[in-house]
Amino acid sequence: MSTRTEQDLSQLLRQFLLPATLVVVAGLLVVDLFRRLVTGAVGTATLATFLWDGVVFGMAIGLAGIGLAMTYSILKFANFAHGDYITFGAFAGWMVTFVVAGLGDFSLDLLVLVSGELSVADIGINVLATPLAIVLGLVVAAAATAALALVVDRIVFKPMRDADGISLLIASVGVALALRHVLLLVFQGSSRTLTTDVASVSVSVGDGAVAFGAHEVTLVVLAAVLMIGTHALLQYTKLGTAMRAMADNEDLARVTGIPTERVVRTAWLLGGALTGAAGFLIALESGTMNTSFGWELLLVIFSAVILGGIGSVYGAIAGGLIIGVASRLSLIWLPSELILAGAFGVMIVALLVKPQGLLGGVKTV
Amino acid sequence: MSLLSVRDLDAGYGELQVLDGVDMDVEDGEYVAIVGPNGAGKSTVMKSVFGLTDYMGGEIVFDDEDISGLRPDQIITRGINFVPQSDNVFPGLTIRENLEMGAYILDEVPEERIEAVYDRFPILEEREDQLGGSLSGGQQQMLAMGRALMLDPDLLLLDEPSAGLAPDLVQETLDRIDRINDSGTAVLIVEQNAKEALKRCDRGYVLVQGQNRHEDTGEALLNDQQVRDDFLGG
Repeated sequence: MSTRTEQDLSQLLRQFLLPATLVVVAGLLVVDLFRRLVTGAVGTATLATFLWDGVVFGMAIGLAGIGLAMTYSILKFANFAHGDYITFGAFAGWMVTFVVAGLGDFSLDLLVLVSGELSVADIGINVLATPLAIVLGLVVAAAATAALALVVDRIVFKPMRDADGISLLIASVGVALALRHVLLLVFQGSSRTLTTDVASVSVSVGDGAVAFGAHEVTLVVLAAVLMIGTHALLQYTKLGTAMRAMADNEDLARVTGIPTERVVRTAWLLGGALTGAAGFLIALESGTMNTSFGWELLLVIFSAVILGGIGSVYGAIAGGLIIGVASRLSLIWLPSELILAGAFGVMIVALLVKPQGLLGGVKTV
Repeated sequence: MSLLSVRDLDAGYGELQVLDGVDMDVEDGEYVAIVGPNGAGKSTVMKSVFGLTDYMGGEIVFDDEDISGLRPDQIITRGINFVPQSDNVFPGLTIRENLEMGAYILDEVPEERIEAVYDRFPILEEREDQLGGSLSGGQQQMLAMGRALMLDPDLLLLDEPSAGLAPDLVQETLDRIDRINDSGTAVLIVEQNAKEALKRCDRGYVLVQGQNRHEDTGEALLNDQQVRDDFLGG
């Protein structure tokens, strides 16, 4: 009898009280935001800047999350080395960008190490001044990370193909530590500056202006292109359909005659390439990087992927944008030290309402 | 020479041996049923033919070629296809995509095979853009069979096709299998509904504890007093 009452209570809580409370709190926040806009405590330009920053951050996280969601849906484990794949891609790509932009003027060994000793102002890398170096770097970042993902799979994950998700997860933590410390050994731990200041377009909004920086725009546009490309590949190609089939039911895929190992390799290849590209673009936009920045981003990326429904590529994109925008908008109420607290708050609340994630249960890969 | 010839087959899963010297034949275009008590290894025979168990000895010859130890994606190209008992459609793929996956090994989607499946099961054409998961149990069984027919196999393996279906759908599903057999495809079926399967088949095998017990025409097995006492409930 008592368990029955408890069930009723928890159901009442989930179905009615929780959503009702959320609607009230969200309503209060909107009213408060409106009050602040009217009284001038928050300018419309500030609000627009927060939104734009949120979209930039969200697209970066969303792009970085696709590979994680993809390998989760195909191989059924959370790859903790994913953050260090991001770092690896960034270093591989920026190595090439530095060499292409600086060869002839600077010593090769410093360029190859993306050394912090180089004067960035002298090399003068930015997307407008050295577009070729940036494009080549991006391509190499994607290719090198795809290759890394395939090699690690062959050495570490393939021999464990039948192991459970926890064993694979622990192995991936080992890969993460090994990879990060190899990078640390080669490139040293100090943070380096990558780019010089770049032009931005100012658009006046209400009482001020929003600046759209060239590197921010580059990140958002290229991330959108890569996301659309991924969507097209998954929905309209035979291999993409096979990836969705395998995410649905691996045993049936095997029985149907789908070469499952080839699908696994494709998932690593594609996921790795997107992850490396994300690492390169995130470093481009922030203008700095060190050997642990990918690892430090992994918590946020996991939040986005879990919020979207782990294993869903579209969920990862949606989750990334929500986390990005929520974290920046929360600055209206919270001090900037708590920039991620607002994002995690949104994630926790969303999972209370829909525990399987926004697009969980809708298997899209 | 039979289309499929299984001789002295030992097979199982890991350390566990389920089949102990099983013999079985399927002729071109024949309808063969495997019946027997639970745990007799009925499905294991079928899965072994399709390369889904651990092979431990004996011979599986299909179309004059030894196929023992091959993988499913290799066996499919030889002209055998398999419909698993449950979870046999991709719920997140459209009906058309489900059928296309059935022909994955071909370079191009064989439109004429999709048309042939649609002719056989018109409801699938009506709903071709809907997700596999949106179909009812009986319709999912149709889609699973359609997927297995995409390569026009010489032998179709069916693992308990009527399991989990409502009683009125059981007859309908078995009728469909009759028609697939009538069009020339040999059928090897494991069916819990033993009487019904024996009525419809050309020949049947009774399997007990991983070994052959009886083998005869379906009718003869139905009328065999010992088979009736042991498995068919009098």
